Amino acid sequence: MEPLIEEAALEPKGASIDAMTAPTGQPKKVVTRHKSPTQIALARLRKDRLAMVCLGIFVFFILIAVFAPLLAKLEGQDTTTLHQDLIDEYGFPTISFTSEHWFGIEPRLGRDLFARFVYGARPSLIVAITVTAITGVVGVVMGLLAGFLGGWIDRVISWVVDFVLSLPYLLFAIAAPAVILSVMGDNPTEADVSQVTRSRFLALILVLSFFGWASLARLIRGEVLSLREREFIAAAKVLGVPTHKVLFKELLPNLVAPIIISTSLALPTYIVAEAGLTFLGVGLVEPTPSWGLTISNATTYYRADPLYLWLPVLAISILVLALSLLGDSIRDAFDPRTRR
Amino acid sequence: MLFYILRRVISAISVVIVTVVCSFLLFFAAPHDPAGVICGPKCTPERLKDITNSLNLDQPMVEQIGLYFKGIAVGRDYTAGGVTRHCDAPCLGYSYILGVPVTDLLARAVPVTLSIVIGGATIYLIFGVLIGTIAARVRGTTLDKAAVGTSLVIGSVPYFIVALVIALYATFLPRSQYTSFFENPIQWAGGLLAAWLCLGLTNSAQYTRYSRASMIEALGQDFTRTARSKGISERRVVYRHGLRAAMTPVITIFGVDVAYQLVNTIFTERIFQLPGLGTRIINAFNQYDLPVLMGGVIVGATVLVVMNLLVDILYTVLDPRVRLG
Repeated sequence: MEPLIEEAALEPKGASIDAMTAPTGQPKKVVTRHKSPTQIALARLRKDRLAMVCLGIFVFFILIAVFAPLLAKLEGQDTTTLHQDLIDEYGFPTISFTSEHWFGIEPRLGRDLFARFVYGARPSLIVAITVTAITGVVGVVMGLLAGFLGGWIDRVISWVVDFVLSLPYLLFAIAAPAVILSVMGDNPTEADVSQVTRSRFLALILVLSFFGWASLARLIRGEVLSLREREFIAAAKVLGVPTHKVLFKELLPNLVAPIIISTSLALPTYIVAEAGLTFLGVGLVEPTPSWGLTISNATTYYRADPLYLWLPVLAISILVLALSLLGDSIRDAFDPRTRR
Repeated sequence: MLFYILRRVISAISVVIVTVVCSFLLFFAAPHDPAGVICGPKCTPERLKDITNSLNLDQPMVEQIGLYFKGIAVGRDYTAGGVTRHCDAPCLGYSYILGVPVTDLLARAVPVTLSIVIGGATIYLIFGVLIGTIAARVRGTTLDKAAVGTSLVIGSVPYFIVALVIALYATFLPRSQYTSFFENPIQWAGGLLAAWLCLGLTNSAQYTRYSRASMIEALGQDFTRTARSKGISERRVVYRHGLRAAMTPVITIFGVDVAYQLVNTIFTERIFQLPGLGTRIINAFNQYDLPVLMGGVIVGATVLVVMNLLVDILYTVLDPRVRLG
């Protein structure tokens, strides 16, 4: 671990001793550079080569998602056009990689695979980032309130947290999209595709957020319980600092490490959840491009057209693996005790 | 002790009751027209009337929930197509789309799910603990690093992808199917082998890590030093003295984990096409069969709550260091 205060600009050793002992009385000049714990952790993270590679992979996928329209335009294809002229009578594509179709085309329907691949990065990342943001904010606020205020508020929040954590999340994730259309007032058996797509997106975000905030709230509550008794909080209270300022100006900065660690470890789990639920058929629906959907469709063609299956499989696996390793590195950087 | 158990049981029951009420509100109060959804796409006015009458959807919410609880406790009657059928307790509802009580439907799927989880859990517990213990013994060597690295990678790749790849490419395994154990035990094991191996291999990764950490801690304790100083063989020190102490936390995790596996076999069942609870629930979803979905949610929540309760109580009995405040 590095020292909190770096002694910089020190004279060479011999010279500094000379300066100390010199009778001229010039005091030693030490320039100190203060670093917050977060800055120290980030500096440590920058030195971690594996973490930087993983971050690069994550940024790469984000760029793909952001520039999906541009990339598809560069190729000159879109996600929905059916290239039936390139499909033989058995439903298999007659071309593999061409300058027109960089990754080839789908069997049966003949949609362009490269365009569907780059657009398919979007739903995973949108859902995962939205849910991480929602659960982060709700979890932190609930944990702060429960830990700091105590009393009946703590009892209610803690009970809800225990309750949410004891529910079978996957079953609710399947049940919610079945109900949500009729909650919105449409009959699910007659709803059109755009309504279904919208409701599925909403259901994914709602369910994942509902089940995601509880563990963070429990973690933050525990941290706050131990911080609450420290002198600087007592001092702030004695000085008459209003409660919301104590919560957000005094307590929150001390919770940066657990918040960053838990959100960075949570992000890949939401990507997996989106892809997995879509694969099961309870997430996003056609014609929305999504890696989970492509995997689900490709299972019937895995022998004839392995690339159709393996592109999204590898993409999700690499993205999730990179994010998990990055999360581990972030945890090690912020909390050196857990270092492997 | 008795007071503690009583308190835990009461809180577990309260969680189950709140779950039933919440899912009832989700499935029957929130939708605009639950009868229309339950009735399905080929809905006739008579059937709609049957559903409304049997489920008492025209009565106040509180009364409907009361009737649902009464169904669970003593059973209730459902009218479908002019015929009144009695649904025995514990009655979780009636599937109008399939024409069977939900309890029967789910009860038929339970043995499949149980078989998958028991087989898979046996494999990953044995494999994980064995590899974890060996890794702890040779801590710091290349072998240890390889074991930890592999478990990290396997644990990070999404489970459904690993399962899918195994299901598609491991064609040398017997074709995955379900036969009742009492009918033909060999066929039962053969048909489930692929699912067991898949569940076992992927989950043994995390057990490797748990038992490695736990074992390293146990081997650093005073009693291990004492055992070594007695001059007994290293093998005996590790597997007799160390392993016993190291297993308590692993077994605790295992208890809760099995409950989650029971609820989460959906991916395994879907990919290996086994007719368990998960497949039932996915089918119910595709048909918008709300009573079956609700029954599945309630059964799943109850399994989780009961297993958590059992593990907590067992833990206080097994580990004398746990003090009840």
